[in-house]
Amino acid sequence: MAFVAGVFGSMLGVGGGIIMVPMLSMAFGVPIKVAIATSIVCVIATSSMAQIAFVSRGMTNVRLGMLLEVATTVGAVVGGVTAVLIDGRVLQFCFAAVLVYVAWQMNRHGGDVTPARTGVLEANYYDPATRRDVRYGVRRTRLGFVLSLGAGNVSGLLGVGGGAFKVPIMNLLMGVPLKATIATSNLMIGVTAAASAAIFYGRGYMDPYYAVPAALGILVGARLGPRLAVRLSARALGIIFQVVLLVFAVMMLLRGLGLGL
Amino acid sequence: MNVPPEQASVARAHVMEPGERAIRWILLCGIAVSVALMAAGLVLGIVRGAGLPRGVVPLAELPRALAALRPAAYLSLGLIVLIGTPFVRVAGSLVVFVRQRDRRYVLVTAIVLLVMCLGVLLGKV
Repeated sequence: MAFVAGVFGSMLGVGGGIIMVPMLSMAFGVPIKVAIATSIVCVIATSSMAQIAFVSRGMTNVRLGMLLEVATTVGAVVGGVTAVLIDGRVLQFCFAAVLVYVAWQMNRHGGDVTPARTGVLEANYYDPATRRDVRYGVRRTRLGFVLSLGAGNVSGLLGVGGGAFKVPIMNLLMGVPLKATIATSNLMIGVTAAASAAIFYGRGYMDPYYAVPAALGILVGARLGPRLAVRLSARALGIIFQVVLLVFAVMMLLRGLGLGL
Repeated sequence: MNVPPEQASVARAHVMEPGERAIRWILLCGIAVSVALMAAGLVLGIVRGAGLPRGVVPLAELPRALAALRPAAYLSLGLIVLIGTPFVRVAGSLVVFVRQRDRRYVLVTAIVLLVMCLGVLLGKV
């Protein structure tokens, strides 16, 4: 299971905590906090391993990632603090609704965004699927930053990584090609996850019995994911991503309804 | 990095920037050390016939547990290294940006590192 999670997580730039946590706790009977801790370790493993491949291919926009990390980490910390103020159930329904909306938007756009030179945080990478060198710039940096604050906040509130939001924000809004988006999101989720993991470790929720085998499985899977992400066409990748978003939405709805988690 | 489009199909290998090279190197080391420690823990567990331990060793007790060759200590340290790798990665990026005298991104990266640490501290309260 960890292997499969590693492949998908690293291929799509999402952590997959929404799926991993309920699976661990329902199928394997892992206590919920331990399940969350294990899933966070998996996110870090995915991010670190996949990033080796993405970064050496120049797919990751390091500066863009770092800039948006400011927003997501601040948002997440604030979210953790404000969690008591908002009803979790309302938030879960909103989360599910936004996921469906995002999947629909991505679907409506069909293929990938058209890369445009904007002079902002420009980068380029070689896309083996189209055999082209893709050069792109970032659009609407400010709006993207503000929305990332929101994404980070929600992830802090709900205890999920938020890769599912980061990818659409960068791709649809900021005009970053899907593959660069996935690579950059993958870089970012490691940062948020590491901060939470340290907290979980300190509180004693880390259990090597689950975390170590899961991490090792993920590491193997996350070697394969980036290769798939790099080779697949952006269109195919987009469709897989939309399906995963819908699955996430269903999981969140179930959680909101009090079924499962 | 600056591959002209017409050469792109030939020049498939991406030439990494210093920042990218640093990230790659840090992550590679982090994963290698972490896997080695976890493997050591697993082997120790098998040798001692104890199987996988439950629960991690708290930081304060770690040195003594490591010296006593407790499997849990090596597994815990492996997890700590894995968790710590992104912190080191951000710190590494900070160093690279300082060297490049990229003031704006020195600031950006410093904020990220600060907020990460702040989050950890807040979480402990």
